[in-house]
Amino acid sequence: MTATGVRLRRAGEQFAVAKPLVAIDSASKVYGTNRGLAPLSLAINAGERVALVGPSGSGKTTLLRLLAGALVPDQGPRSVIINGKSPGELKPGRELASLVGIVSQRFDLVPHLPVLHNVLAGRLGHWSLARSVLSLVWPMERRAAQQALARVGIADKINERPGRLSGGEQQRVAIARMMMQSPLVILADEPVASLDPARAEEVMELLVGLVSLDMGHGNGDDGSSQRTLIASLHTASLIRRHFTRVIGLRESRVQFDLPAGELDDAVLDELYDLGDDNGDVEPLAGLAARDG
Amino acid sequence: MSLRRLQTWLTGPRLLTLGIVFALAWSLSRVDWQQPIGHTGGGAAALQVLLALFPPELSPEFLRICVVSSWHTLAYAVAGMSLAVALGLPLGVLASGVLAQSADGSGARRWTLMASVRFLLAAMRSVHELVWALLFVAAVGLSPMAAILAMAIPYAGILGRIYAEQLQDVPAEPVAALRTTGASSAHVLLYGYIPMALPDLLSYTFYRLECGIRAAAIMSFVGIDGIGFQIELSLADLLFRQVWTLLIFLVALVVAVDWWSSRVRRSMAY
Ligand SMILES: Nc1ncnc2c1ncn2[C@@H]1O[C@H](COP(=O)(O)OP(=O)(O)O)[C@@H](O)[C@H]1O
Ligand SMILES: [Mg+2]
Repeated sequence: MTATGVRLRRAGEQFAVAKPLVAIDSASKVYGTNRGLAPLSLAINAGERVALVGPSGSGKTTLLRLLAGALVPDQGPRSVIINGKSPGELKPGRELASLVGIVSQRFDLVPHLPVLHNVLAGRLGHWSLARSVLSLVWPMERRAAQQALARVGIADKINERPGRLSGGEQQRVAIARMMMQSPLVILADEPVASLDPARAEEVMELLVGLVSLDMGHGNGDDGSSQRTLIASLHTASLIRRHFTRVIGLRESRVQFDLPAGELDDAVLDELYDLGDDNGDVEPLAGLAARDG
Repeated sequence: MSLRRLQTWLTGPRLLTLGIVFALAWSLSRVDWQQPIGHTGGGAAALQVLLALFPPELSPEFLRICVVSSWHTLAYAVAGMSLAVALGLPLGVLASGVLAQSADGSGARRWTLMASVRFLLAAMRSVHELVWALLFVAAVGLSPMAAILAMAIPYAGILGRIYAEQLQDVPAEPVAALRTTGASSAHVLLYGYIPMALPDLLSYTFYRLECGIRAAAIMSFVGIDGIGFQIELSLADLLFRQVWTLLIFLVALVVAVDWWSSRVRRSMAY
């Protein structure tokens, strides 16, 4: 191989490093007079599992909603790019559905539709309007919905109304809906906030499972490769166990950006300002109680 | 109370309340309280009407007339309401603005559309069904279709307005969640807005159907058959026992719709 070839390959490698899957280029968001997020830049590669930590009001939800295309950054939609596309710019439909999906802080199911249709709602971005209308009467892709519910462990609730499920079960329905949507980037806003430790561990395993799961809806390019997970949560042990990277936000700024393994309780305590005067507060319980 | 305090106390809603109270007091003061309410000999006539209730007319031939005319009234009401829903639902959806929502919020085009549909709805409902009936009779002559259209137009105006509000009152989070699945506005309408508003939409539609029965009953003067027409005939002949029977049928019809509506709503409880 010639020297030029080597150099070219090096350049190619550098290019691969320089072109992350998710690129946020000094995006900020102001709500009226409230600052939601100060200009923030971030690069996340395919296959990373990123935990967002930070006290309540630090901008985690805002950041996730910007990534989901549910909010548009003040600098315009192009300051958030996922896989070369801007979620805020994409029209509703298959492309957006396959790009990014979010499990929100509140579980956001439609209480009046049975679990089956809430799960099938994950397909709406992929379905034509006629198909969606028909599916209300005669559910399409019922098998896939059944499998998704079985995977999250509530196959028996398929005909139940969400209002009759526990918070944890509703969370699982939202995750099953995400499986049906099958996006490249999976966002989760405090997915374990209201769960007991055992339930939290299970839900984390499910979410991490989604990253490597072939959800196989024949969506071509997105069905096969590693997915990327970005989730906000407060529990150091869960972060160390399930994530590859942890980003600390404080007053809508990045305070630290570490490999998840290097996250220790002292770093978290400082982020949440528990270090000095509140030294005795048990970190995890305190943190969990802080966020609503 | 100092003038300054009075000024801060007299905010918009309080001012409006005071205005209404004054208007009411003034209108009461204009009533001539000396005039007897009924005409002379009214007491005897009222007694005669009341006594006709014991018993009302229950002969088989007349009951057959009652059943048929109730059926006609119900049929007109249902036809008018169906048309009103068919018009009012799409207009209500347009007036609510839920189809035009995006992550960016509202644009001028969305506002213009909402405002013009709202104006149309207001125009439709500001004319009473009887006035619409007169207009249609003048235009197309006495016909059942005139009565149905006369009812459908103002009712669509009312339904559209209320539907729009009920759609707007749907909780925002599930709707936002649906949008993040890549669902279009039409999808979100079908899987979010409509299912969540459905109990309210149905409940109000049933209530309007009750009103529609009343309206259909008094449409007799544009020439449609029904309870109202029969009441008119019986009144003309001073057959008060028949009038009572017909009124009982009318009440039964409304009560039946109410019962049906509460059954439907109960079956939809979640
Ligand atoms: N819809 C909104 N309107 C006004 N201010 C908001 C809104 N949403 C969030 N904020 C503000 O933006 C900041 C960041 O909020 P958020 O992203 O929800 O933080 P977190 O999820 O970390 O608790 C907070 O100060 C919050 O008050
Ligand atoms: Mg939040």
